[in-house]
Amino acid sequence: MSEPNPVEWVPVAELSELARRKKKQVVVGDTPIALFLVNGRVFALHDVCVHKQRSLSKGTVLHGRIICPGHQWSFDPATGEAADQVECQPTYDVRVENDKVYVDPRPRPGRADAGAAPYTTTAAG
Amino acid sequence: MIRSIVTIGAGQAAAVAARALRRRGFDGRIELLGAEPEAPYQRPPLSKEYLAGDDDCGLHLLSEKWCAANDVHLRLGQPAVRIRPERGLIELADGTEVAADAVLVATGGSPRRLPGVEGERIHYLRTLRDADRLRAQLRPGVHVIVIGAGFIGAEVAATSRGKGADVTVVETLDVPLQRVLGRDIGATCAAIHRREGVTLRLGESVESVVETPTGVVVTTSGGRIEGDLVVVGIGITPNTTVAEQSGLAVDNGILVDEYCRTVVSNVYAAGDVANHWHPLFGERIRVEHFDNASRQATAAANNMIGRITPYADPHWFWSDQYDRNLQYTGHAPVWDELVVRGSVEECDFSAFYLRDGLVRAAFAIDRGADVLVAKELIAGRVSVDAHILADEDVDLSELTALEEQL
Repeated sequence: MSEPNPVEWVPVAELSELARRKKKQVVVGDTPIALFLVNGRVFALHDVCVHKQRSLSKGTVLHGRIICPGHQWSFDPATGEAADQVECQPTYDVRVENDKVYVDPRPRPGRADAGAAPYTTTAAG
Repeated sequence: MIRSIVTIGAGQAAAVAARALRRRGFDGRIELLGAEPEAPYQRPPLSKEYLAGDDDCGLHLLSEKWCAANDVHLRLGQPAVRIRPERGLIELADGTEVAADAVLVATGGSPRRLPGVEGERIHYLRTLRDADRLRAQLRPGVHVIVIGAGFIGAEVAATSRGKGADVTVVETLDVPLQRVLGRDIGATCAAIHRREGVTLRLGESVESVVETPTGVVVTTSGGRIEGDLVVVGIGITPNTTVAEQSGLAVDNGILVDEYCRTVVSNVYAAGDVANHWHPLFGERIRVEHFDNASRQATAAANNMIGRITPYADPHWFWSDQYDRNLQYTGHAPVWDELVVRGSVEECDFSAFYLRDGLVRAAFAIDRGADVLVAKELIAGRVSVDAHILADEDVDLSELTALEEQL
């Protein structure tokens, strides 16, 4: 009858809340999640930057990428991949229905080929 | 045809160049010549996380695995002496000759030293070895005297406080970073240190530094300070000996054009050692920061293999002190208008340095997003009303978004 792991969509925001600043921090359970509106689409990433724990929702969207305010790491909003780095920011599935934003609080599976990158590090940037 | 590329130096710029070359599909020989015995590592953590004792802060830039997989060779602990462009080779100190069709000179800089000021308890901070030596002496309760309130001095002060040391900072100027930030904004940096329990002795010049069997005594124009160790952070000088021996033009670093080319064909320079003609600012600028080294190296790598790329980005750097994140972008030796957004008193602000109605530089504490916007405004030479910059109700990123639409 039911799926083995049914998605539990959690309502987190009104779409209108993203209209102005294009970003908003929400908390699901204990997890802070940063919502971004990029080219009309909503993305959700873990709010705490994998690099040095700064808050991504205090960052900005530039040329379609999420920029961390701490050290300007640049993330792909869809995959969480950081430009020129091994690290990957956790991302979440998003659904928008009737101008309401829902998030699936289970992070998406991460990138598999991290070992191919030259940097073995998390520092600086 | 460029079949082999060698870097003199194996730091940030060299590592980034190697990576960029392989990413762009260059399949010739790549070799990095390092004077230090260590494989390429990044220096920013040496005054921050690594100094604080975090061995896992990810210092190293190129893993062995990556070097093997990408056929990038490291020749370490062997200083280069000169380039022989006419013979297409580099001479090393031990007499070895290394063939190179193109060379990136990325020899970095060395700490400026106070004459005669050397000793067990006296530190200069540039290399991993320097950091290890300082780290071993940095313990709770020791009194650290930092000479110089620039970025290295400020970061060492912050890290030392974090380790439970007592800290005194001596600075010749009246406020930290006065030349870069100006008096008012520099004063906020002073306030941060004081709030964290650092004793600041500003406007005092150092007259002598003496190591005793039990400590150090620093005498300044303002009096005598006794401590356990001294860290001197008064800037670096570019390492130009190899360049001079190789016939490159040198004046406050190696002179390079906007493509990071030196006056000798197929010889490039990048990073702390490069005095670069910056097309955006229309002057020569030598910058001693991580991001600049990376970007210049990327541009140099591209140009070496025929992908003509000027380096015209506004400079950008950060400093982490205590739990605060400071950032600066651009270049403004002089300005005619300073616009503050936010509260200087609460140390939550960004400051924009304008000249002739254009943003030339910006500094922020815990407002990295504003700095990113400023960088775009500087790069695009966007004319912005000072009132808009100061108005917290305006979302600054809309200024760049507007620009993108035009």
